[in-house]
Amino acid sequence: MKLGNIKKVVAGILVGGALCGNAFAAETLFSNNVFEVAPAGVDGSLWAVSRNGSYSGVTLLTFRVSDKGTVALESTVRKQVSDTLTAVHNGIILDDDEFAERRRIPSVYAGEKLGLVLPMFSMDSDDRYLQPAGFFSVVDAKTVNEFPMEVPSNVEDFKDPMKYALSGFAYDSTGKRLWMARGALGVMVHDISSNKGSKDTTFVLNAAKERLELLKDNTVLDSTVYPEIFDVRLHPETGDLWLATASGVWVKSSDGLKNISKKLEDSRVTGLWMGGNPLQIIAETNYKEKKNVVGGLWRIYGEKSEDFVKVDFLDTAGKVQKKDVYDEADYTVGDVAFLGNKAFVLVRTAGGSMSGYLKLDSLGVRAWEEDDDGKTQWLYGYETGATDRRAVIKSMCAFPLSKKRMGLAIATFGNGISVSADSGATWSVILNRAKLDNNLGSIRMVPSVITPGDEALVSYKVGRESKITIEVFSYDMRKVRTIVKDAVRNADAARSTNPKEDFWDGRDDHGKDCTMGVYYIRVKDNHGHIGWGKAITLGGNFR
Amino acid sequence: MIKFKNLVVAALAVGSFVSSAMAIGFTKKSELGGFDGFVERMGAGVRELGRGNTGTADTATMPAAYWNSALLGFRENIGITVNFEKRDLDRIGGALGVEGKVGKRMGVGFAMLYRGDTDFKVIDDDDQTLGSAAPFFSMFYLGFAFRATRQDAFGLSLSMSYDNLGIAQYFDGIEMEDSFRSPVTINLSWFRQWNDKWSSSVIIRNLSFSENLSAKWSKNPSKDNSLASTEGVRPKVLQIGLGYRTKLLGKNVSAWMEAIDYQVADTLLAFDPQLHVWTGRVGFDCEVIPNGTLRIGMDDLDWMFGAGYKFDIRIGRKRFPIEVNYAFLYESRAGIWTPFTLGLRGYIP
Repeated sequence: MKLGNIKKVVAGILVGGALCGNAFAAETLFSNNVFEVAPAGVDGSLWAVSRNGSYSGVTLLTFRVSDKGTVALESTVRKQVSDTLTAVHNGIILDDDEFAERRRIPSVYAGEKLGLVLPMFSMDSDDRYLQPAGFFSVVDAKTVNEFPMEVPSNVEDFKDPMKYALSGFAYDSTGKRLWMARGALGVMVHDISSNKGSKDTTFVLNAAKERLELLKDNTVLDSTVYPEIFDVRLHPETGDLWLATASGVWVKSSDGLKNISKKLEDSRVTGLWMGGNPLQIIAETNYKEKKNVVGGLWRIYGEKSEDFVKVDFLDTAGKVQKKDVYDEADYTVGDVAFLGNKAFVLVRTAGGSMSGYLKLDSLGVRAWEEDDDGKTQWLYGYETGATDRRAVIKSMCAFPLSKKRMGLAIATFGNGISVSADSGATWSVILNRAKLDNNLGSIRMVPSVITPGDEALVSYKVGRESKITIEVFSYDMRKVRTIVKDAVRNADAARSTNPKEDFWDGRDDHGKDCTMGVYYIRVKDNHGHIGWGKAITLGGNFR
Repeated sequence: MIKFKNLVVAALAVGSFVSSAMAIGFTKKSELGGFDGFVERMGAGVRELGRGNTGTADTATMPAAYWNSALLGFRENIGITVNFEKRDLDRIGGALGVEGKVGKRMGVGFAMLYRGDTDFKVIDDDDQTLGSAAPFFSMFYLGFAFRATRQDAFGLSLSMSYDNLGIAQYFDGIEMEDSFRSPVTINLSWFRQWNDKWSSSVIIRNLSFSENLSAKWSKNPSKDNSLASTEGVRPKVLQIGLGYRTKLLGKNVSAWMEAIDYQVADTLLAFDPQLHVWTGRVGFDCEVIPNGTLRIGMDDLDWMFGAGYKFDIRIGRKRFPIEVNYAFLYESRAGIWTPFTLGLRGYIP
């Protein structure tokens, strides 16, 4: 979509308003389509990475937290990146990439010099952002540097350039080196320790000889000899370099380079995450079996664990279940956020039909509910209040809200970000919102064009507590749907919409998709006010 | 014959009145408003709008290619009609028609119906207003009639729709398709002038060449298949009309009734009441002054009032009959008043 006048809008400064409860008003994010949230290296700061149509940008959000744990959004600053580059490749937008390592945006805070580091993609010959082009260094909201990466001549053998897309970062703050997983091209180190500039060196993993070899133009990139490297981490205690590869987990330490996990020795390990107290090391395995993607979640928990073990999925009583979420669908891990002895594992299915985070403690993944059919619910998300609309969760992170308190943040496609100051117990939503006139003076359908399977929020504002009725009419003013009837809505400075109820999914009262056309949405309160909004639905499934 | 006529009249009157007086008690599996065909459902012609959108059983109705193509069999001159309406919520519409006699027993006519929204705000996921679009929806009719007897005529019209949403320019990331065209559909009709007072009509609309003879077509909103395609269905319609003319206190008075059954499903013929939506229309007009007519009517639950005046324009030796019509409309379900509709009709002798 067009960016509209978003470029012209100066970042608003929002002061006050508790984070718990109602959301923020006014313009806050570069775009509500947020694909990555990441710590900004300063207490109370968070980066949100967005893409809207062909435009990409970042927003630096700053929060203020009181002693009681009340959090307020203090400021937002936004920055658009180059029109021809993005950190969010098309596979992320469409959720159609079958490879787990490409279904997330890796990022790391790499000190003051580099700031937030993100992968960079340019357009391929079909105008798709599927061409790895290097990495972004977001130093601050005014400075976004582009670091193109050289591609050796031997990669011309690859039909799919995404095979060497950046899929993992690790920053060595002592050695001032940034490690990057480059898939088929191994691992690259971006050395900024010298005052004379940076130096890039790429290595490939020779599994047979158990060593990292310099990638040369004449290196024959045979994946049986040089397994792909999908992720890279630095052990927070030992400083060892951990590599998630197509042939297990390899660790480079003072003893050399070893494949350290017998259980994952030959596994395609697509992601590694480390953190928490006690230290947890979480690994994702993911491979394609016929048409299905088979995923698995493994971890090393605490010092006593010697090897990765598969993560148990527990019911609400703590009993280990035979089946887990991976038996239900093809999930892949989006991110892992560590808070104390817990890990929050964001998972998402291809296509984005299901998304949510798993809550992982010392015993395993905890369920939050068992439904009436006895089905165990592990995925936290819309149903547990993490988002106020059924939006796909794209990213998750933990970040320091203050010196004493950690926060959680999630990024959603279309509904901004959600932030929690209490370990995920309550969430608040931050997203762009246009100003509304009071007493139903203006009704905005967001978005006003409903694509198949999507929905539009009915946005309105009342000046006092009201009973709201929302109805949808066809062009010839036949009522096709009653969305809510006499629903109580409170007065609000920004809007009184209840995002979980006040939306239209393009269907009639019988659940049938309305045909393509213009529809008129009437919002009435019990004080005599009436407002009208409009929506175009592009139709849905055949009735 | 008279007994049969009375039976038909009674059945139609009861059905029409009952269906127009209430919002239909059937439990429907789909809402009629969610189907294609609102352009057709809203009628054409301000004269007819003023009396409840009734016109299928009146030989003077225009454009006949839309209302009842059998009426074309009664044309003696070339008739032209132009109509415009501006409804609340930025809705504008109109209709035009040209029709005339072919040979001694036949007639042909063309009609175009138009509905649109002049100010549709395109708002994206980010709550940004990207601009204003003007989506429009149109239908075209080409009608033919054959007058079998002095009293009976049969008609056939071919119709198709062309819609343009006008929003593609605001979607940079998607190769969106704006315009959609339906296949040609067939409408069959019969008109009978029983005597000086009574007339009736039967119309079957929206037959096509699909498996269930439904007016069904596929719509792909994106050129790159990034959006799921959908299918449009314009419900099959059975429309039965009745007209009655008399004099009251020396004034010409007419009453018009129509019962309409929409089959809201892509089925050949279904008798399940849940797949049918019945509506009705009633209208009355009275020539209160010479050449001046007042009208009142009800289309389903919407109320209308109308007025019309006929006069002649002389150009040389020729006289051209002209009629100006106005209608006032209240869309009761939405609570919307429409004070501005204007129509013009004329004949070229």
